[in-house]
Amino acid sequence: MDTSSTTGLPADPLVAGPSNEAAAEFSRVASAEQIRGVAGALEGNGITCIVLDSGEEAREAVRSILPVGAEVYNNTSRTLEVIGVAEDIERSGQYQPLRPRLYQMDREMQGREMRQLSASPEWVVGSVHALTEEGSLLIASASGSQLGPIASGAGHVILVVGAQKIVRDFDTGLRRIYDYCFPLEDRRARQAYGVSSGVNNVLVINKVIAPGRITAILVNEPLGF
Amino acid sequence: MSMIDYDARPVTPQVLLVGHRASSVGYSIRDFLSRNGVPYEWVDMDDAARVGALLPEGERWVDRLPVCVLPNGIRLAPATLEGVAAGLGMVSTPSLSEYDLTIVGAGPAGLAAAVYAASEGLHAVAIEAVAPGGQAGTTSMIENYLGFPQGISGSELATRATAQAKRFGAEILLARRLAGITRDGSDYVAHLSDGTAVQSRAMLVASGVDWRRLEVPDIDELLGSGVYYGAGPSEAVACNGCRVAIVGGGNSAGQAAVRFSRYAAHVTLLVRGSSLEASMSKYLISQVKELGNVEARTNTEVVGLESDTSLRALVISSGGVVARISADALFVCIGGVPRTQGADNVGLALDAAGYLRTGAELSSSTGALDGWPLPRQPLPLETNLPGLFAAGDVRSGSIKRCAAAIGEGSMVVSLVHQRLAELGGE
Repeated sequence: MDTSSTTGLPADPLVAGPSNEAAAEFSRVASAEQIRGVAGALEGNGITCIVLDSGEEAREAVRSILPVGAEVYNNTSRTLEVIGVAEDIERSGQYQPLRPRLYQMDREMQGREMRQLSASPEWVVGSVHALTEEGSLLIASASGSQLGPIASGAGHVILVVGAQKIVRDFDTGLRRIYDYCFPLEDRRARQAYGVSSGVNNVLVINKVIAPGRITAILVNEPLGF
Repeated sequence: MSMIDYDARPVTPQVLLVGHRASSVGYSIRDFLSRNGVPYEWVDMDDAARVGALLPEGERWVDRLPVCVLPNGIRLAPATLEGVAAGLGMVSTPSLSEYDLTIVGAGPAGLAAAVYAASEGLHAVAIEAVAPGGQAGTTSMIENYLGFPQGISGSELATRATAQAKRFGAEILLARRLAGITRDGSDYVAHLSDGTAVQSRAMLVASGVDWRRLEVPDIDELLGSGVYYGAGPSEAVACNGCRVAIVGGGNSAGQAAVRFSRYAAHVTLLVRGSSLEASMSKYLISQVKELGNVEARTNTEVVGLESDTSLRALVISSGGVVARISADALFVCIGGVPRTQGADNVGLALDAAGYLRTGAELSSSTGALDGWPLPRQPLPLETNLPGLFAAGDVRSGSIKRCAAAIGEGSMVVSLVHQRLAELGGE
């Protein structure tokens, strides 16, 4: 199926995308009632939730939350790229972006420093693959490197989530990852890096014991995949 | 959210540099970007497909190399270090008309002074020609710096110190060198190479040292195209599979050998002295000896170079025996020459080797305090000009170690306070 119009990724006939059924099920934006319910569930789980109407508003919200001069790691994310948050973090000069710093480091000589830096940034900005109506967050990763900081390594976490990622429950969230996100991510990884992706690690956040550490910005439009 | 965080590469467009590897301007830009932690991609002119995609046909680019494509798509051709720095928004202007302290050089001493001065409420600005960190910033791993039991790379130490200085409010003016110093009453005015003038009530010269030049015929013609001064961190990956030679017997040379051994097929360490023990730390000697692809040759000097478009071989002399060794790159890490350019027009007292005299050393040096205007003697680290201090490697008698420079840089701030109190207004 050609999902380029909804995901922003170019079509690639050599790499199978998600099935028509999966694309129809998982690219649909949740209803206003569902969004309100999820926002309440997230707050109940200790996750600060902000509901906004557009990606531009989400970009402004991230700008207003991140302190000037903050050390920030932006996870690779279509959502962050599309709404301009990745650009703000890496190029604005307002923050200490860790990604360019890590990329510039000598992997042979500074491997330990790289692991330490990427494992415990002061701020992480990213997204999720699924968000359940009970307020659980599901994040998949091939390498796992993004998961530790979100779970506990980072001081603060901001997650920008398009409302098409809301699912009924955990099992549906897993199906969203395997049937919809993975085929699209696999295509992106092959195009961008020449390697395939994999659902090698899945982080589930049901509850946060340090309230306020994670902020979810829930956007009432489809963002990323 | 992506499932892959592929080697942490930035997701936004990077700087692209297109040119011939054997270009000294290209090297200076690579070195500048690398040492300032700016990711870039080098595209060699031999890569016709990439070059064709980046440079539109119809223009004679070959006369305008190197070309720099900035993240916003603007092409600089031919690119210069100053132009790239400006294009990336790295060239800032001073925010104040007068500072409490101007710091010349953002190496370990200068950064320490910036951190302590700014943290104590002084308005401080540092001037740096290339990148924060100085010579220490190019060191692959400092393993004996207090508090880092696993070691810390020079670039990481510099990055942290720079962030710390900025967090306290210090300003850092990059990509401009000091062109001269003038007086304005009791103030000092630093004139920078781009015409910027920075006025302050006190000044610290912490400009460090340059690598000593290797005296070999025609060596300057190969600068950036096979011959490099310092450890050349931007070149390490490019030396993958190459034969590398390093001249020097000190810790800088040893650290360079360890770094290049990870990439190069073979590394030859050329040492003029009879052993490494006289000039290199024991832990580094042990590391070097354990590396299977590193060979240390003592009592050896470089006497000639062979090249075509870039370096191909060295002619070396060992105890009068001349030999030829293949080498794709030569890194020169020998000694140091005080970097006092720009500060030498204001009448500073120098020792015989050109280092800045300070404190008690001035009193014991004939004529050094002629014209000293104050009833007190110069403070420790104060030069023969009141309120103008020196710290770190550029200072006569200093211990040439990163930790010692940091100590001097932090110590000088208390002396600056004394000077400012003397002037009144603090």
